[in-house]
Amino acid sequence: MEINIGKFIFKEISPRRYVALVTPSELREAVEAVMMEESYFSSLTAIDFPKEGKIELNYIFWSVKHRAALILKVTVDRSNAVVPTIIDIVPGALGGELEAYDLMGVIFEGNNKLRRGFLASEDVVEKGIYPLRKDSGV
Amino acid sequence: MVIVEIPIGPQHPALHEPIMLKVRTEGEEVVEVSVNTGYNHRGIEKLLEKNSWVRGMYISGRVCGICNAVHMQTYVQGVEKLMGVEPPPRANYIRTLVMELERIHSHMLVAAVMAEIIGFDTLFMLLMRDRERVMYLKELVTGNRVHADIHMLGGVKRDLDEVRRDRILSELKIVEERIKYYMKVFEEDYTIMKRLSEVGVIRKSEALRLSIVGPTLRASGIKSDVRSDDPYAAYSEIPFNVVSRDEGDSWARMMVRFGEALESVSIARYTVEKLPQGPAIPKTIPRATKPGEVISRVEAPRGELLYHIVSVGGANPYRVKIRTPSFLNILNTEKVYIGHRLADVPVIFASYDPCISCTERVMVIDEKSGKKTYVSMRDLARVRVG
Repeated sequence: MEINIGKFIFKEISPRRYVALVTPSELREAVEAVMMEESYFSSLTAIDFPKEGKIELNYIFWSVKHRAALILKVTVDRSNAVVPTIIDIVPGALGGELEAYDLMGVIFEGNNKLRRGFLASEDVVEKGIYPLRKDSGV
Repeated sequence: MVIVEIPIGPQHPALHEPIMLKVRTEGEEVVEVSVNTGYNHRGIEKLLEKNSWVRGMYISGRVCGICNAVHMQTYVQGVEKLMGVEPPPRANYIRTLVMELERIHSHMLVAAVMAEIIGFDTLFMLLMRDRERVMYLKELVTGNRVHADIHMLGGVKRDLDEVRRDRILSELKIVEERIKYYMKVFEEDYTIMKRLSEVGVIRKSEALRLSIVGPTLRASGIKSDVRSDDPYAAYSEIPFNVVSRDEGDSWARMMVRFGEALESVSIARYTVEKLPQGPAIPKTIPRATKPGEVISRVEAPRGELLYHIVSVGGANPYRVKIRTPSFLNILNTEKVYIGHRLADVPVIFASYDPCISCTERVMVIDEKSGKKTYVSMRDLARVRVG
């Protein structure tokens, strides 16, 4: 089963879960397309893969229209983890971006609200480490 | 006009976890609200990575005191999927029963908190008294009053016998009557209507962009409920209605919760009456998973709860991302306060049923003189003029 939204093809990975792989430059366009499908932003999971040298970002949306989770997977380089922000398209994604920056060190270009200490405690922030990275030593 | 900044929090007994609302007001009118977090980050996601799959079950149950069973359900159903384990139908029904009891007492709790904030203390006490009946039922089913801990990978820990089934049915009858009564109070009481209606309106058109979930979303006219859209446990077999309203204000959010609590009573009754025969307690506990990832969703009392669990094989999870409903509901609704009076702030905040705590005292700083005075949140709620 597949869902086609604009030029993006979402493939079913399990019942009611559809995934599309996108590049950072396509991300904003994909989010705009997903939001047209009566969706709300549900979660942003950042997963660290130090061996491959990458961080995988999973933007999870729930589409009320399709009754399915639409997931956008974006992979970024671990040493230069930068993606464009989506908070101007979905204001609801603010918490997800702040958390991914604070705990995983992903920079969301254009989001001027990014700050350390949003969730992480002061001692972690002072050391300048991102606690959810596998090599952070936390 | 002097702009006054009023920090509410980070400690407040009326709310359950530490967070801080910085409210800037011009006279009585709120001009800006910003939410400050990070006071009690416990690093649970990291803790889950460092513990085994079975231990993680207990850690996830301790994310929240009020909705502990739904957290365990979300974690357990996700891990079961990774392990390829299917819980028996009887276990699914018992899990559903516990989660619905939790929803009833959670919705009664927020109604009580709301009653206290608007200064209706008698209603607060009555609601808390009747909520005890549900806590008793939870203890009867699980053995624990607060932390249910009923879930087990592949089933539940305690079965339900005939004697307890009858007791549950008779208690549920009383609980149902009481909820109907309180619903009527919230519908008809002049003061409550005056304080709640048209306060903190979230329109249907903005609700999805703001990405709010649960009763808050349904009160804005969007019928989205994980139990019906993405069924888990025994919900695909149980008939129930998704309650929604179109007003989008604080009053609608409370009414949605009352409507849901009544639905929960009927779901709980259904699970007890139609409890399937067969085993419910697993004989062995699975300990290893296949590599893969699962997005596990559950309708918690406050809305969609999501766990994103990633496994690369082995004894521990590789990554567990937890997204609680309040994380969206609190952070994304900063703009809703603007234009309301200061005394409406606690009402609007409580109407999201935030799983967060603040203090009994708030600090008022006069920006010109720098003078600091302390006001209790309760006094603040009562200073409404006109």
